[in-house]
Amino acid sequence: MTFSIPNIAFALPEMVLLGFGCALLLIVAYVDRAPQGSGFIAYWFSQATFVITGLVIFQGMGGEGGQTFNGGYIKDGLSDILKLAICLINMVVLLYSRHYLQARGLFTGAYYILAVFATLGMLIMVSAYHFLTLYLGLELLSLCLYAIVAMHRDNKIATEAAMKYFILGALASGMLLYGMSIIYGATGSLAIPEVAEAILSGSVNRVVLNFGLVFLVVGIGFKLGAVPFHMWLPDVYDGAPTAMTLFIATAPKIAGFAMIIRLLAEGLGGAHAHWQTLLIILAVLSMVIGNLAAIAQTNIKRMLAYSTISHVGFILLGVLVGTAEGYAAAMFYVLAYVLMTLGGFGMILLMSRAGFEADNITDYQGLGQRYPWFAMMMMILMFSMAGVPPMVGFFAKFAVINAAVDAGLMPIAIVAPKTFQWALSVNALAVLGLGFFPGALLALCTRIFM
Amino acid sequence: MEKYIFYAFAAILLFSATMVITVRNPVRAALFLVLAFFTSAGIWLMLEAEFLAITLVLVYVGAVMVLFLFVVMMLNVNLTPVQEGFTRYLPLGILVAALITAEMIAVLGASHFGLDIVSAPIAHGANYSNTKELGRLLYTVYVYPFEIASVILTVAIVAAITLTLRRKTSKFQDPGKQVKVRREDRVRLVKMDAVKPKPPAVASEETAS
Amino acid sequence: MTAIALSDYLILGALLFSLSVAGLFINRKNIIILLMCIELMLLAVNLNFIAFSHFAGDIAGQIFVFFILTVAAAEAAIGLAILVVLFRNMSTINVADLDQLKG
Repeated sequence: MTFSIPNIAFALPEMVLLGFGCALLLIVAYVDRAPQGSGFIAYWFSQATFVITGLVIFQGMGGEGGQTFNGGYIKDGLSDILKLAICLINMVVLLYSRHYLQARGLFTGAYYILAVFATLGMLIMVSAYHFLTLYLGLELLSLCLYAIVAMHRDNKIATEAAMKYFILGALASGMLLYGMSIIYGATGSLAIPEVAEAILSGSVNRVVLNFGLVFLVVGIGFKLGAVPFHMWLPDVYDGAPTAMTLFIATAPKIAGFAMIIRLLAEGLGGAHAHWQTLLIILAVLSMVIGNLAAIAQTNIKRMLAYSTISHVGFILLGVLVGTAEGYAAAMFYVLAYVLMTLGGFGMILLMSRAGFEADNITDYQGLGQRYPWFAMMMMILMFSMAGVPPMVGFFAKFAVINAAVDAGLMPIAIVAPKTFQWALSVNALAVLGLGFFPGALLALCTRIFM
Repeated sequence: MEKYIFYAFAAILLFSATMVITVRNPVRAALFLVLAFFTSAGIWLMLEAEFLAITLVLVYVGAVMVLFLFVVMMLNVNLTPVQEGFTRYLPLGILVAALITAEMIAVLGASHFGLDIVSAPIAHGANYSNTKELGRLLYTVYVYPFEIASVILTVAIVAAITLTLRRKTSKFQDPGKQVKVRREDRVRLVKMDAVKPKPPAVASEETAS
Repeated sequence: MTAIALSDYLILGALLFSLSVAGLFINRKNIIILLMCIELMLLAVNLNFIAFSHFAGDIAGQIFVFFILTVAAAEAAIGLAILVVLFRNMSTINVADLDQLKG
């Protein structure tokens, strides 16, 4: 491989983010001894970082794209939009989680440093065009996330969740790497376009390629929390402090989606028929089990975790179609999912106070009387997650299912059934409905005992 | 000759890996892991990856395993009790693992990667430097991953310090403050009348009656 | 006497990989051994990469191994840090109880 001077203008967002991250590191190191702590300065500095990075991305949008760093980096329409979304989402995440962190003594500079570097990892993943860059971006993101989950050091449950997250995340990385090594052996290259070319040329041993593909898909399944590999997800979402759950449940999913697109759609597009079968299993199981298990939860964070699993199923459903329409639907779904999750966990953060987590569904009874406006918002979010027509969740599900039907995948489109969705929404709505109109049930209960 | 060396290394590697996952004492497991790394370095040398072999010994045996041993000893982990369900599920586990391994070997075996399909490469000459070749690529073509790796190491430092460093706010003494202290801060002179206080026994008697 | 085939290295890597995965599932009691299993797993992956790199005459695989070693060292540091925090928490629960008795 010959060396050419990289066109670093393409990678400007990453460089700006890295520069600000390092500056933040220094600032925090200096002001950490201040009596009020470094949280306040770090908060505003990282918000400014995201604003500036977002502006840089926005400014470069629509411009010429291309590869640089000798094929390690790509700037295209996909990367621009996803990066901008990541920056915007993270700004909102920091905004939502500020008071929660302050109330629990977690409002430290270290959290913001890790958040900025995790964002850098996401941007690198979105722009990765080489297995190596993709892996390094993924690890940068994951290492920050493990530390963020463990950050509440005196919280036994949170550290346990972090340990679980770490072990299964490392296992997932190992699987992913084993798959990459086999694909490297089969195709003789690690650059994504070269891998795609080798597969399309037909000179690759199919048995070996599929063998590597299985490990790759298992690794992706672990990282995203698709069903046979989902065990860690509810525990981590539940155990981590809600602000940290909000962080790991939103923007990293966008990066995860980019990883699937780069690896499966762009790199292994020639082996679509093989990974489609694997993804069908993951998608169907995720949708069914995610929704069924969500109904049985009494903890709202666990319920949202299982709902995440079912959303992952829908995203995989969009990807496995393998058409441009399917990818577009999956991308729309990811962005809609992140918006809804942001709202869902944001609502929990809003309701929680110092010493009170508001993570049981029963905590939300009577919400309609106390805060009618928030109850209304909560209802809209739950409706959207369940896919009720006027909300974005419906259009996202509709687009994915539409793409699947168009591609002749009718049976699976039917297995993404509305019944489970309705059951989930009935669960959430029953609680909220009781919040709005508690009188009826209360009268009933009184009549029984009087 | 080369083949016998390879098989000897492979046997030691697999033996030490088995010991790592089965021994009960974490210190022994760590030492067997060191053995596994050493043997792997030997195998990597046979694959003409000299620089990586040396790095494996230096970084893993020298740093990572010392860290492992340090943590094991710092935490003073006792012998783990015999694992529950270990023997009960062992036959089934071995069966499943053996099946999966057999399938893996079937794919990776001689039918796809034998010598007649992938011929052995010609060994590099004596003037070939593996280190130089790696370094040349690392600082040119792979400069972007190299930078990301440096960020990852920074994050590891930040995360490890954030998670484990404890500022002792209560027991911490600031020498500057100690020097600057004035007499008024420490000693308070109280003027009192030179009278005897009433014996407290009387007071308690009064309340009792 | 023939030379060593690529398949020999790959089978060794596969055996090592399955051993480490088996170790992850057998050891449900000792977290530190789980971390060691992860190191073993990465070792198997590295062996694969180096073997492919050697037989294909392409040094990119060795570069990948270089970065895996770097990342694995960082990963081990963070994993052990989380482990230390976890163990401290288990013991601080007792300390907290003692504090309460004083009040």
